[in-house]
Amino acid sequence: MPIYLYIDRGTFVHRLHPTVKVFALFIMFWSVYWVDNPLALAPVGLVMLWIAQLTDSWPNFYRLRWFFAILVFSTTIAWMVFYRRGAVLVNVPIFHVSRLSLIFGIGRGIKLAELLAASVLFLSTTKIEEFTYGLQRMRVPYRVGFAISLSFRLVPLFIDSAVTIVDAQRLRGYDFNQGGPLERVRRYVPVVIPVFMGALRKANNMAMALEARGFGFSHEPTTFIDYPVTVADILAFAFLIALGTLSFMLYWTGLGGIGPLK
Amino acid sequence: MSDLRLMWRNTRMVVLCAISAALYAAVLVPFKVVPLIPGVTELRPANAIPVVCSFLFGPAAAWGSAIGNMIGDFFGGVSPGDIFGFFANLAYGWIPYKVWELIGRGQSPISRSPLGILKYVIACLAASVLCADLVGWADNVLVIRPFAMLGNVIIFNNMVSALVLSPFILAAVYPRVKKGRMLYTDVMPEVKLKPVGIRASGFALLIAGEGGAWIFGNLLSTGYWAPKFLPAWMIVAPYDKPVLIIVGPFILLAFAGLFMM
Repeated sequence: MPIYLYIDRGTFVHRLHPTVKVFALFIMFWSVYWVDNPLALAPVGLVMLWIAQLTDSWPNFYRLRWFFAILVFSTTIAWMVFYRRGAVLVNVPIFHVSRLSLIFGIGRGIKLAELLAASVLFLSTTKIEEFTYGLQRMRVPYRVGFAISLSFRLVPLFIDSAVTIVDAQRLRGYDFNQGGPLERVRRYVPVVIPVFMGALRKANNMAMALEARGFGFSHEPTTFIDYPVTVADILAFAFLIALGTLSFMLYWTGLGGIGPLK
Repeated sequence: MSDLRLMWRNTRMVVLCAISAALYAAVLVPFKVVPLIPGVTELRPANAIPVVCSFLFGPAAAWGSAIGNMIGDFFGGVSPGDIFGFFANLAYGWIPYKVWELIGRGQSPISRSPLGILKYVIACLAASVLCADLVGWADNVLVIRPFAMLGNVIIFNNMVSALVLSPFILAAVYPRVKKGRMLYTDVMPEVKLKPVGIRASGFALLIAGEGGAWIFGNLLSTGYWAPKFLPAWMIVAPYDKPVLIIVGPFILLAFAGLFMM
């Protein structure tokens, strides 16, 4: 089961410094956060489409296409229940269907879709070691970064062993699809236990292997992976600052809001 | 707080943290396909893992829960609210063993006595409510989702997993881990408990804080309560400012109580 979204393409976005990529994710969140109006969200959306084209991340977007659609739809519906402002256009029980609630709901839906798109782009272009390196450069302690990195590495191993156990249980005639939803979930307990115990058996050996290699000897260990800062990183950084400023200006001038333009 | 900090000095605890996180994420990611609120939460049988790990690995499970959730978020969409999701899941993995240390009185968490079951439910409910409060509060303040929608779904989701799945996993795993001397009390014997009085006061603050946050969060985000002491311009949908001002201090109170435990 492929769980990672990383697509190795070697574009300039892939080669950017990990800190710039983590900063880019932050700027995307920042830019989307300040803007409410669906139209005002367009510049950030266009930038993301451009990066998706540039980095050839479309397979990941295709994989999550239904998720994007449900996200926008359900968010719009949810805010039409809770955002009870503006003159009602159509009388529907529970819902408050007004021009304002529609624009607000659609805006929120697009906003969440753009946040998801930002994370898809980040994962499509960033390796796990780059992510943890970026965190360490942002002063996240080494041991925390190591635990995050190790967790990412262990996930596919645990999923693989779970799949093996499911197959083995099926061969013995165990039916995972029997009963209602809760019963079905509970039938996976015999799968979780061996995975759990297998993981614990590894824990002791892993800890000994780490200590034998000097883990924890220094708070700032050396690394053989080097990420030099290039001109592309500086240009990308400047572009991100400009994008973040533009979004804040949209908010500041009122152009990003859903009320009448100032 | 000291156990959360101290555990990073112990290599075995760092590994157990990574294992807790990976186990959590390994169950979380495949179930991303069954969203309850798309982009925010989904059917999460994985939520049984932090509770089980909490009773076994204590502080390592707390960090593991936070990291595991973060890994899961990367496969279902990351948003600014996920920063709070990290701390909410930290609390979700931190509270069960802290509460159990206080109310369990040396009893095993796999005890099947009615009192033991009641204590287990209290520990899980305390963890679920603070987790839900923090995520619901943050998403409402950031105007991503209303508190009433998210806060209640998370409590339901966490409690279903904690009551339907965790006891079975715990019953099978706890005796083996105990026999293998891998419980957090065996791995970190240097951690000493605070006096009972302080921990009991902390627990009372935790319950008062998270209970208050849940009640007021629901009332405010649905517009059922419009506080008279706030200016009228604040009390309009999406109620982000009233939720920030009124629910925020309750969450702080709950965390203050948690730190005291």
